[in-house]
Amino acid sequence: MLTLASVLLAVHAAAAPVQKIEFWTFSMKPKFTPYFDGIVRSYEAANPGVKVEWVDFPWDIIQTKLVTRIVAGTPPALVSLNVPWADEFARDGLLQPVDALLERGRYLPGTLQDLTFSGKTYGFPLYSNVAVIAYNTRIFKAAAIPHPPRSLDEQLAFARQIAQRTGKAGLCPALAKIDGLMMQQGLAVIRNGRAVFNSPAHVALIRKLADTYKVGGLLKDSLFAEDNFPAAIDAYKGGRLGMLLAPPTAVGRIAMDARDIYAVTDVAPAPLGPTGIADGGWLIHFGVPAGVDKALLPAVGKFARYLTNDANQLAFAKAASVYPAAARAASDPFFTTVPPNAGAAEKAVVAGAVSMPHSHTLYVAGVTDYDELRRSLVKAVEAGVTGRQDIQQALDQAVAIWNRKLVKQFPAQSVTTKGSGTKTVASAAVSQKRPTGGPNAQAVTVFVPDPDVVTNSAVMMAVAP
Amino acid sequence: MSRHTLAAWLFLTPALLVLAVFSFWPVGFGSYLAFTDYSLIRPTHWVGLDNFRYIFENEMFVTGLRNSVVFLLMVPFVQVGALALAVLVNNQLPGIRLFRAAFYVPVVTTVSVVGIMWGFMFHEQGALNYVLLLFRLVDAPVGWLSHDGIALFAIMFVTMWRGLGWYMVMYLAALQAVPADMQEAAILDGANRWQRFWKITVPMLRPTIAVCTILSVLAALKAYQEVDVLTQGGPMNSTFTALYYAYDQGLKHLKLPRALAASFIVSLLCIGIALLCLRWLKPKHR
Repeated sequence: MLTLASVLLAVHAAAAPVQKIEFWTFSMKPKFTPYFDGIVRSYEAANPGVKVEWVDFPWDIIQTKLVTRIVAGTPPALVSLNVPWADEFARDGLLQPVDALLERGRYLPGTLQDLTFSGKTYGFPLYSNVAVIAYNTRIFKAAAIPHPPRSLDEQLAFARQIAQRTGKAGLCPALAKIDGLMMQQGLAVIRNGRAVFNSPAHVALIRKLADTYKVGGLLKDSLFAEDNFPAAIDAYKGGRLGMLLAPPTAVGRIAMDARDIYAVTDVAPAPLGPTGIADGGWLIHFGVPAGVDKALLPAVGKFARYLTNDANQLAFAKAASVYPAAARAASDPFFTTVPPNAGAAEKAVVAGAVSMPHSHTLYVAGVTDYDELRRSLVKAVEAGVTGRQDIQQALDQAVAIWNRKLVKQFPAQSVTTKGSGTKTVASAAVSQKRPTGGPNAQAVTVFVPDPDVVTNSAVMMAVAP
Repeated sequence: MSRHTLAAWLFLTPALLVLAVFSFWPVGFGSYLAFTDYSLIRPTHWVGLDNFRYIFENEMFVTGLRNSVVFLLMVPFVQVGALALAVLVNNQLPGIRLFRAAFYVPVVTTVSVVGIMWGFMFHEQGALNYVLLLFRLVDAPVGWLSHDGIALFAIMFVTMWRGLGWYMVMYLAALQAVPADMQEAAILDGANRWQRFWKITVPMLRPTIAVCTILSVLAALKAYQEVDVLTQGGPMNSTFTALYYAYDQGLKHLKLPRALAASFIVSLLCIGIALLCLRWLKPKHR
């Protein structure tokens, strides 16, 4: 009888359909192959009847591959994305909300807010990063700077001091991402569907950058390039830069590539802006593409929760030198305790962890062709910072370009003029359709003391039709 | 149709089929899509000239188109330079093979390596500024890639540097095909080197000059690799070229119809200028 039951069970098990879960990451091979292979093996062992397939693509092609597979009706069950991609895919209906599959309490609240668009959450947070300030103590001493900077104003003042006293550059901000810097400093980029980055406060910010540039305080190499990090770290390693705003991994690179500079390097947490948002946040998560079989969703959710659980996030974060998005993993002693005789690299991990709860992915969400608009903003900022054009005039021109495009995208809004050429919107249709509560509103009250500030979630509120 | 013509078409058919599948069809279909709202995720609709209106209202494309035309300034320099180099290395001098190889090295060097190398050269603290400052030719480092008035010309120089060896080899081959007896007859007639060059060599090279010029014009209009590795269109969008705009829109932002519209315009420009070159540079005598 027992034998018969065993045989029947075996036959049933053999006949039971195998649930196949395909998940995609980008740029993880070969360094993290053992990690992901281990995840797959252990999950399959604990969940008989589930077959997990891991696929890794280079970061620059994963979007095209994903769109192609969704259109073909064979999307992967989970795909690793960054927040701007997720926002765009969600707007195009290419991602599914995962609220029903999430265990919200597991993750740092900020990470879930980053993934919340129009009141729905679109991913399982995996990891993020945050910047620390690595500074050359020898240059600081020569410039008579007593302590690391505690605000952007101090950063720029120190950069000027370094340039004037040592002839070296002090700072290399990522000015191609000036929109993020403005938002971190509490200055709105868009309000109610119209560009507003030409206010006196914005002009003052650019003027401070221009003054610093003029005396040689900003590193000129690739200052406005889309990715100026390689130039910045090269300059720091060469002893030509006083402060490097970078994730803790960069300090590890300095340790490997330039021992002499590492020996005189110290670190400090990067100053939070007046918004309380830390610099350098860039959340990576797993989203569920549209078209994934509804019957498979519970299994997908279970696997996604496993992929992003505390133990796995902690292991990955340690291996990749990033910060986990899971709350318990983020409070592991690895991130909170400086080991004895720690060097700058170990100190950087803890310094970054201090800022991690304040980390957000700063970008403007919900605007079509945003990259193109951002380019005209960067061009205006470049013209203003380098002194090739009056700052107010350059920003006014960029605002005009933005609003010509935005008015087509959000035509229901009437434009009124306020202040020195600042165009803002007394919105009718859009403001009526704004959600009045939920995570978006919370994002504004929690992280944005100034109502003008626009973070990704806030912009969704501001522009969502 | 004569038997000879029929045989010719028969031999050409396999090549034409391959061209049809891999060149004519993609070009034709791509041109059609430039007039649609094609995207991978929605049904495609005919939108007429909307994409063209969009790109012509876009500052980056207009700047890119203007820069692509400015890039054509490179053509005479690269052709004269390549011809001069070819004449130089056509002499039987000791070690001349080394020179021929050296001038050809940039042609076989990948664009990434070229980008890294010239990135170092053009750096504000780079080799070029170091030499200029050493000899007090400039007072302060020149922003070769960071000044919007200079960066495009720096990129044009790199493109020219990359192409020089390629055209040199083509001219060298053509020079070596010039019949020696014509030169000898001219020498007997008392023609000097300069006269022989202008009256015999240059006319004999005319078909090669035509081909090289057209290739050089097309390379100038299609420039984007050097832009991508050296400036990504900056500073202040000053090094955007029309094709870089197409690449940026199509492959970075998946706005395929705009990219195709930009490519369509570049193709028309290429065809138009190539036809003009053919007309001007067509050999007068066969």
